[in-house]
Amino acid sequence: MPSLTSTLELFQLPFMQRALIGGILTGLMGGLLGSFTILRQLSFFSDALGHSALLGISLGLLLGINPSSVLLPFAVVFALGVAYLLERTRLWTDALLNIVYSSSLAIGVILLTFVGQYKGGINSILFGDILAVRSGNLWVSALLLGACVLFVGLTLRSQILLTLHEPLAIARGISALTHRTIFIVLLALVVGTSIQAIGVLLISAFVVIPACAARLLSRSFTGYVILSALLGALGAVLGMVISAVFNLPSGPAIVTMQLAIFLVAIVLPRTKLSAV
Amino acid sequence: MSTDVLVVDGLTVYRDTYPAVQDVSFALAEGTDTAIVGPNGAGKSTLVQAVLGILPRRTGDVLVLGQPLSRKGVLPARVRQQIAYLPQNFLFDRRIPITVNELVALGWDSLGPQLPWANRQPRRLAVSRALAEVDALHLGPQPISRLSGGEMKRALLAYCLVHPRRLLILDEAPAGLDVRGESEFYQLLYQLKQAQGWAILQISHDLDMVRKHCDRVLCINRSIRCQGSPDYALSPDNLVSVYGSEFVRYRHHH
Repeated sequence: MPSLTSTLELFQLPFMQRALIGGILTGLMGGLLGSFTILRQLSFFSDALGHSALLGISLGLLLGINPSSVLLPFAVVFALGVAYLLERTRLWTDALLNIVYSSSLAIGVILLTFVGQYKGGINSILFGDILAVRSGNLWVSALLLGACVLFVGLTLRSQILLTLHEPLAIARGISALTHRTIFIVLLALVVGTSIQAIGVLLISAFVVIPACAARLLSRSFTGYVILSALLGALGAVLGMVISAVFNLPSGPAIVTMQLAIFLVAIVLPRTKLSAV
Repeated sequence: MSTDVLVVDGLTVYRDTYPAVQDVSFALAEGTDTAIVGPNGAGKSTLVQAVLGILPRRTGDVLVLGQPLSRKGVLPARVRQQIAYLPQNFLFDRRIPITVNELVALGWDSLGPQLPWANRQPRRLAVSRALAEVDALHLGPQPISRLSGGEMKRALLAYCLVHPRRLLILDEAPAGLDVRGESEFYQLLYQLKQAQGWAILQISHDLDMVRKHCDRVLCINRSIRCQGSPDYALSPDNLVSVYGSEFVRYRHHH
């Protein structure tokens, strides 16, 4: 195992710092939106969004456009389309989402075979490469985090009411459709911007796992939302350190640390921490 | 007309392809308590949800405090703030982490964009007052996952009371309260009606309670079958026309 100083030296490298900041930003965003996503039972939706990003990337490659500039518009249009489909059909949500994500994965892989050589390779699409994060990506993430915080912060009470009981929120004059649409667009953007670092397979963990851990430790809603974002960031920091020290792939290392946090939350005695 | 809190005129609501509510008209004056009665599936919940703009309506007009409810269910925010609604079977997911204080506070704000920590002091005061009114001050810090059915009802009632309103719409609200809780509940409604002039519209299956506490009854089975004072509207003849002859025979024999 490398010494502490050599690990610290590693984090003086610019690409490691970018990776760390990128991980923290993604962790904060995933935790923040994730707290509402799991309560609204959209966990599987975020999973489908992640998988569908492969389709977006291969479309970009096939058309000869930079995949990362295709990805965001694709994710938003795709998310709105799927949300519309879920509202219009009477099938079960999880079954429909399964159709959506497995077929977009399948079509994406087929499209990739027409592209020929893709220098990143399918591996980096599936599992991401957080060390390849550029400062431009960080700015996009930071702006998006700002947008998420503003939206959730300014409409917090409407969001809570919509999560509790939609008819009750509508009776208070909240436009459920508008809020749902904005939320889904933000979720799609968060997933889209994080794909490059985390990969299509693991991105939904950022949304689901910290929020579930926070739920186990919270009794008030506001505390829960904040804790969820913080645990997302904590998982990213721990995961980056572990990945640097043991030379592990960073995306899976972060998700493993999120799992560790979740397991600790399960084991911790409820009475002490439920005051959050 | 100025004292009419709610005016419903020729309201028709479709669920899928059939009319669940057909050509319903009525008006609620200030300081009155009106019950909606009718058999299961008669469209009572559909009616109040259309009045609130939760369900779209096919035809008809709804005026709340003189303001028309738009086709898309929009009312001015200041009118919305004057309405409280307690839905039937308020079964939300008990796994949602939220304390009673937070839940009640949701009823206090008008829901435009605002900083989450704005108006902290007055909100907190209003929440304690509302909880004290329903005798549930001690429940404030509890998460809702720990509440019993009756305690939950009290918390939700406090959510309605936390801000002064003009119109309270209850969909089988007292169901789930014990006898003492129920009588306190009706006492509280009476007080809101008398002292603060709230107009109350409540769906009820408890005809005895309706007889005792309400000023007026709307008997509904898709359309209004009869309306008037409880003595008139709940007469055996009228009950036959609403519920069918089986029901009335059952009530007379027991």
